[in-house]
Amino acid sequence: MITKFIAMNGYGLYVWLSFGIVLISCTVFYLKTKKTLRKYENEFLVELQNLSVEEKNKTLKNSKVAQQILATNSKMN
Amino acid sequence: MFKFFSFSNIYSLIQKLINFINSIFFLILIIGLTFALILSPPDYIQGDSVRIMYVHVPAAWLGLACFALITLLSILNFIFKIKNFYFINKSIAPIGLLFTCLAIITGSLWGQPTWGTWWAWDARLTSMFLLMLFYVFYILVFKLLHKEELIVKVSSIIAIIGSINIPIIKYSVEWWATLHQPASIKIVGSSTIHSAMLLPLLVMLLVFLLYGALIFLMKYKTEIIRIKKKNIKRI
Repeated sequence: MITKFIAMNGYGLYVWLSFGIVLISCTVFYLKTKKTLRKYENEFLVELQNLSVEEKNKTLKNSKVAQQILATNSKMN
Repeated sequence: MFKFFSFSNIYSLIQKLINFINSIFFLILIIGLTFALILSPPDYIQGDSVRIMYVHVPAAWLGLACFALITLLSILNFIFKIKNFYFINKSIAPIGLLFTCLAIITGSLWGQPTWGTWWAWDARLTSMFLLMLFYVFYILVFKLLHKEELIVKVSSIIAIIGSINIPIIKYSVEWWATLHQPASIKIVGSSTIHSAMLLPLLVMLLVFLLYGALIFLMKYKTEIIRIKKKNIKRI
């Protein structure tokens, strides 16, 4: 029964290849996008760390985005 | 009203949406794959090769929809200079390119057992290939040019010229004699697809939509961080 399901009445190669290509390329694209996002988050945090204490506090106070990036990073660590 | 659309508020909303999509995505993917590969019946002529439709059609529809959206936002950005649209378009374009490439590849894999050829330069296939090229040019503008004003102008021109291709893709199967079959699903008029195949197709469309939305949100979030990083001392 499993062999019949995999063979798909002779169309297995085309069907599985189609679904496989879609799944693999979508996964690779997702991982690449996630990696880029993490890279920019980390770069932002490095920039934030390089600020003086006063500037850093001011940035964190004024920017919700900065607060959230910091919170996300703390959770991950 | 405008405060709601600030990057800070959008950023919070993006995170919530990403979490929501992540929480439901795999469940819907498993349902979609079960329907597409196991529960849906084989076609009486094409047999099991018809299952390729469940990845080919949603990819093609979304490839077209992304370009139509890019064109609309490009025109609006060109007229009203809404900077957010620039970042939205930049985030949508790679998803549209991915879906268009997948539609072409899976179409080719469907074509071989159905038509006996991987590729033919017929109207539908050629116009889809042109769409892919327009996506490539559009993305290259963002990579190669550096002045934002110039990027907006050039990318908008590419999007507007490329949009002429959208109705050509849609009606190519009616205007010319092509290998590609006519549309089975019509927004206006009765569809010729059985509900046993329509339901899996709609579930798989939802899977592709959620995936596209997830990638868009992650890319848009990256753009916001990039801007904030650039202006960190001005915050």
